Order: sequence, then C-alpha cells, then structure tokens
Amino acid sequence: MPISDTQKAILTLLSDGQFHSGTALAQALNISRSAIWKQLNGLSDLGLPYAAVSGKGYRLEKPLELLGYEKILTVIDEKNRRLISEIEIFDQILSTNTYLTGRAADNAPSGAVCFAEQQTAGKGRRGRQWVSPYGSNIYVSILWRFQASPLAISGLSLVIGVAVIRALKARYALEFQLKWPNDIYYQDKKLGGILVEVSGESEGPCAAVIGLGLNIFLPETEAVSITQQWTDLSKITSRQQLGRNSLAGTLLNELLTVIAGFEEIGITAYLDEWRQYDCLQGKPATLFLGERRYEGIVKGIDDNGLLLLTRPDGSTQAYASGEVSFRDDRI
Amino acid sequence: MDIRKIKKLIEILEESGIAELEIKEGEEAIRITRYSAAPASVAYAPAPVQITAGHAPGLTVAADVEEKLSGHIVKSPMVGTFYRSASPGTKAFVEVGHSVQAGDTLCIIEAMKILNQIEADKTGTVTKILVDNAEPVEYGQPLFIIE
Repeated sequence: MPISDTQKAILTLLSDGQFHSGTALAQALNISRSAIWKQLNGLSDLGLPYAAVSGKGYRLEKPLELLGYEKILTVIDEKNRRLISEIEIFDQILSTNTYLTGRAADNAPSGAVCFAEQQTAGKGRRGRQWVSPYGSNIYVSILWRFQASPLAISGLSLVIGVAVIRALKARYALEFQLKWPNDIYYQDKKLGGILVEVSGESEGPCAAVIGLGLNIFLPETEAVSITQQWTDLSKITSRQQLGRNSLAGTLLNELLTVIAGFEEIGITAYLDEWRQYDCLQGKPATLFLGERRYEGIVKGIDDNGLLLLTRPDGSTQAYASGEVSFRDDRI
Repeated sequence: MDIRKIKKLIEILEESGIAELEIKEGEEAIRITRYSAAPASVAYAPAPVQITAGHAPGLTVAADVEEKLSGHIVKSPMVGTFYRSASPGTKAFVEVGHSVQAGDTLCIIEAMKILNQIEADKTGTVTKILVDNAEPVEYGQPLFIIE
C-alpha cells in the first residue's frame, strides 16, 4: 500500500516517540480526528506499530528518524561527495537495486545512490525476500561503472563487506563479523546483506549495482518470514535512537572509498582485514553448489577471495560460488 | 615436476569443478588456478609454477567441446553457477529457438555472490543451451550456441 502524504505528515509528527493527542494531530494537519485514526490504522501495514492510550493519545512504539538528504550529506567527506552523481531518497520503492539496475540500463552516471524508507519487493540473492519495513532500517544501492571486466571486479564482493564492517566499527565498539563472501553478522546472527548485480561486456566495461540491507530496528511482527537467525542494531546496542542519517552517511563514506579505489587497489590490500572478521574460519560448514553439497571445515579464503574448504578426505579446495552454511540447512 | 603430470593435474581440475589446486611434493610445489579474481597481480611465493587453466588452450575441456560445436559459441567469462532465469520460478531469459539481439541477457552467472548478467555478443537464434540451470560452470565453458 503506498504511503500517503497525510501519513507521512503524521509520521513526521510522531517520529519523536512522544504521545500526541488525536486533537493535536488533527489540528496540525487540518483534518478530522476520525481521519487521523483512519490514517494511523494504515501505519501498522507499514510495519510501524503504535500505541493508543486513552487520555494521552498516540505514540509510535519506537522513535523514528526519517532519512533526509541534507542530514546524510553533512556526514559525507568532501572527497566522497565528488564521487556521488546523485542521491535519491524514496518513501517506497520495489527495490533499490532493481531501480538502479534500470537506471544503469538507461545510461545513468556512475555514483548514483538510492535510499528507500521501505522496499515493497526487497530482495536477496536468487529471488529471496529481504524484509524491508518502513523507516526503520537502511536500504541503499550504489551504481558504479568499472572499466574492468566482471571477472576482474569479482573480488569487490568481499571488499564491500569490509567497508560495511568499517562503518559499523567506526560507530560501535563491537565485534562485527563477515560470513563468506559478504554477509554481515554479529554473534552468528545475520545483521545485514549485500547484493551485487553486474551487467556489461565480458571483457569490460561493466556496471555494478551494489545494494546493502542493514537491520537497525526490525519489528518481530515483520520478521516472522525470516528463516534464519537474525539480529538488528537496536538489539545489539540496546539503544532506541541510532541515528539513521548519520549511519547512512558513514556507510556511504566507507563504501564509496573502497568502490572508487577498487580498480587500482584490488582485493589484496583488504585480505588481512577480511580474515580478521571471518566468522566461519575453522568451523564445520556445508557449501551448496547447485544441486551438489560439499561438507568440510572452512579454512578461510585464498588470495583471490575464494572460499577454502578442507574436505573429509583431507584435501583443501577453493570455491568461487555456492552458498555456505553453518549448519545442514540452507540459510 | 614433468609436463605430463601437470597436464594430468589440469585434467583433474577440469573434471572436478574445483577452482584451484595446490600440491607440494618435497621441494616442488604447483598451484593451478582457473580463476584470477584480483585485478592486481598476486604473488604466490611457495608456488614456482602457476598455470591458469582457462588460459591454457588445447588443455581445457572447453577447447575439446568447441571443435564439435558449430555456430557462434557464448562462453562463460568466469567460474561460477549458471542460472537461466532472474530468480527461481521466473521465466528463463532465453529458450532454444528464440532470436536474440546482441546485448540481450542470456543468463546469470553467480560468482562470489555477484550476479553477473551475461549478454549475447551476437544477434541470431539460440540453437543450443549447453548447461542446465543451477549447474557450476568453468571459465571458458560453452554456454549457448547462437546461429
């Protein structure tokens, strides 16, 4: 359901997390109290639970910090600002990756950035859903054009993961982890996911759309469809207000730095750092490759970023694709 | 290490779906990789011999198959997993008999969790699809024939 201008206005008023009476909201928006009530009912559909208390009024379950262009931009370094060709912030969109993939086909310039408050068809790899309720997480995609071939930039996958961990560590002194090649984890629970989609000539140039979904506050009611262990920054830090705009800016700083430098620097400079964050190192795991599955012990990554798995026969092999799981089930 | 042994190792690598193989025998060490992901060159100190299978024409399975296939062959530009549609349950990008324009998406190859759209590099009709959906593919492996 699309969000209406009236709902956006009500949300802006309620975003402080304080009680607002129906009368005050009605006056501020110049509509009737019953119209306010109708609009508020729609908020639950957006994944924004609110409380109605007799005599006090309405309050959102969690304070809300809506994304703002200026608030994000103030955090971004001068050097990185020059790399951005445009920033778009949507209230609702199918998926930030889908949008920028379309823009890439229409010759949009390198450095286009797209945020959304809500994705109605947020996606992970191979058609999986990325749960994307309104106003509470980060959904961002960046379009970048490379002169190199898709093969030559495949190491970017791991480097993006390092950039996200750098941004998180800059804000919270916690041990964030990576699961090969670039899932963001905290204490073996998934905190964020990265989806990179590349199109172009096999010898280059190519266009990459790099998407990040990061859980900040994921209401339990929205998370029921998630089939794996998950977490969010609100749970990890026990904080209600996490500064979405400032976090969005920090993420862009780190992401743009590694993306823009990748063709020159490559993966090598990031290998040691990636290995520090590796949550699978030394653990038994299963790699699913098409219909095949390989059991083994994870031996980290090789110098190209390929997953090293020591098989039961003692041989160690490197894998470029497939899905690795802690357990026997697919995650 | 003699050349026949190296050739045999490459054959083992080709048949297995392994991306890299490293073997040490006393003072000798060999590392064979079909994958070079890093734009910057990576030095392997303990590996005096390095062969990238994809760049060794005549030794690869891909080259053998090529001789038997006529028409324009679209080859895999990387090691990865081959997908015929954008996501499970959606329509395949192309079927045998479809006509395609250069630049049309033929398939997706996933490598390092990057989803790479593989485009037709020639206009024509798809006459063969040589790989099943969700199968691993090798560097240089023929994927489609366009005539």
